[in-house]
Amino acid sequence: MLSLSDVQRGIRGALISGGSSGLEAVLVGGGDPAKRLAVHQRHYRVTLTGSLVSRFPATAWLVGSEFVAAAAEAFVCAHPPSRPCIAEYGETFPAFLAGRPSAHSVPYLAQFAALEWHVAHVSLAVEHRPLTAEQIQAMGADALAEASLSLQPGVHYLQADWAIDELFSAYLADEAPEQFVLASGPIGLEVRGAPGDFAINRLDPGELTFRSALALGVPIGAAIHKAMAVEPAFDAMRAVVSLIASGLVTQVHATTQAAEVCP
Amino acid sequence: MATTPSFGPSPSGPSSPVTGIGLRLPQLAEVVATSPPVGWLEVHPENFLANPHATELLLELAARYPISVHTVGVSIGSVDGIDRAHLRRVRGLIDAIDPVLVSGHLAWSTHAGVYLNDLLPLPYDNTTLALLARHLDEVQNELGRAYVVENPSSYVAFRTSTMSELEFLNELVDRTGCHLLCDVSNVYLSGHNMGYDPYEFLDGLPADAVAEMHLGGFTAEEDDATPGRTLLVDTHAARITPPVWQLYAYAVALFRTVPTIIEWDDDIPELATLVAEATKAGGVGTRVQEAISAVAV
Repeated sequence: MLSLSDVQRGIRGALISGGSSGLEAVLVGGGDPAKRLAVHQRHYRVTLTGSLVSRFPATAWLVGSEFVAAAAEAFVCAHPPSRPCIAEYGETFPAFLAGRPSAHSVPYLAQFAALEWHVAHVSLAVEHRPLTAEQIQAMGADALAEASLSLQPGVHYLQADWAIDELFSAYLADEAPEQFVLASGPIGLEVRGAPGDFAINRLDPGELTFRSALALGVPIGAAIHKAMAVEPAFDAMRAVVSLIASGLVTQVHATTQAAEVCP
Repeated sequence: MATTPSFGPSPSGPSSPVTGIGLRLPQLAEVVATSPPVGWLEVHPENFLANPHATELLLELAARYPISVHTVGVSIGSVDGIDRAHLRRVRGLIDAIDPVLVSGHLAWSTHAGVYLNDLLPLPYDNTTLALLARHLDEVQNELGRAYVVENPSSYVAFRTSTMSELEFLNELVDRTGCHLLCDVSNVYLSGHNMGYDPYEFLDGLPADAVAEMHLGGFTAEEDDATPGRTLLVDTHAARITPPVWQLYAYAVALFRTVPTIIEWDDDIPELATLVAEATKAGGVGTRVQEAISAVAV
């Protein structure tokens, strides 16, 4: 007799890989109950595939919806979700796409799909009231150098080998040019957003390093050092002023003082 | 831990069930903008946990409507245990919106770290009963609320079951004191698919334990397991059918003013259609209560 664990393992296998995983002997329902497992198998495949495809419309615009749908179907078998929030499922789909047969002819595909993933997420973010320059300056320069920052929720930094932001702009403008020259060379991108709105900003290598480090909780002074290592001419003062002016800083966490600075 | 939800006066009348709609993300902004005339709203927390903007709108609605939180990913039937991290996230939302009810399903969805995105069937025996009683306790402690359990939509059952679904639900209520969410459409659909009388099923439920009802549309398709017969699939993609409305009227007579939600998850219609179904449910409830009152007089 199958244990409850065996039953659940069998159904899991049937849903992900197909077949009835040896459950025929224990199922009841209709003349051939194993065939009714198809209702659950179809639900698993259709809902997850549909969810993925709906999350990557720009990628479908780029490489075709059939390609994305076929990849999504393979993905839900190879990489089932691990958490119940399906909106969070698919972060590794861009890399999976790049490994699909024929994807090698689109070397920027994974990075473009990853950009789309992050755009979708920041578009749902709720931005907090940012700190003003006066609020931040009140800490004093020494304390500030050792402080870390909280940036707006949802802001994301990435580096790309191609000008995928320009390609994404073409998608948003619903353009279908006969020829599109995609510039290569590393670019830094900042994706930030608010409900129904988002922005993709280009950043210099130093600024990308600086802001990425801050987003990871690195203290301001150390983030400046990281940026200067990448770009010796990095202008720290200008970068800090620009960061504050763009409304990205929501909290300062002092390491040498007990107080935090909040709006 | 088990408590009875409290609502304000019903828009359909003081003695009829409060009726409302399952609120899905495509209709969220419209509901915020128009405040449709329904008695309450029900949400799946899993739709909001990764969506701060939608959560902000839901908090706005929580100031205007009683809200019910209906989980689809808690998986109380999983032999591997409860996903505590997910529970903590649900608890965060619950604490923020203070719902009138929190509910989930007599089912499992997770195995060996994989979430299968469906409400999957359980064998009904003492092993499963003990597992569910333990998990219900764990869920209720983590959420700080009573957790109401919904009857499933069934396509298969297990030869190893030692109880019927009805017997199992009664045992679960006896053992844990939990309340039930009676999905009337599921009763009808499962009765059709598994071959039992849905009216007898309703008669057998512990009426005092029923805290909520659901109604939803289903889709009929060829039953591959039994050629020539139909299988009803719980798609929530259509209007409620006349036989289910009749069964609902019977359920209202049994369970009286239990609040009701209309569920529609796929091919979601205009909001007005959904509101009309909720109004219709309220009308059915009013007529049944009036008939009962007349007989009593």
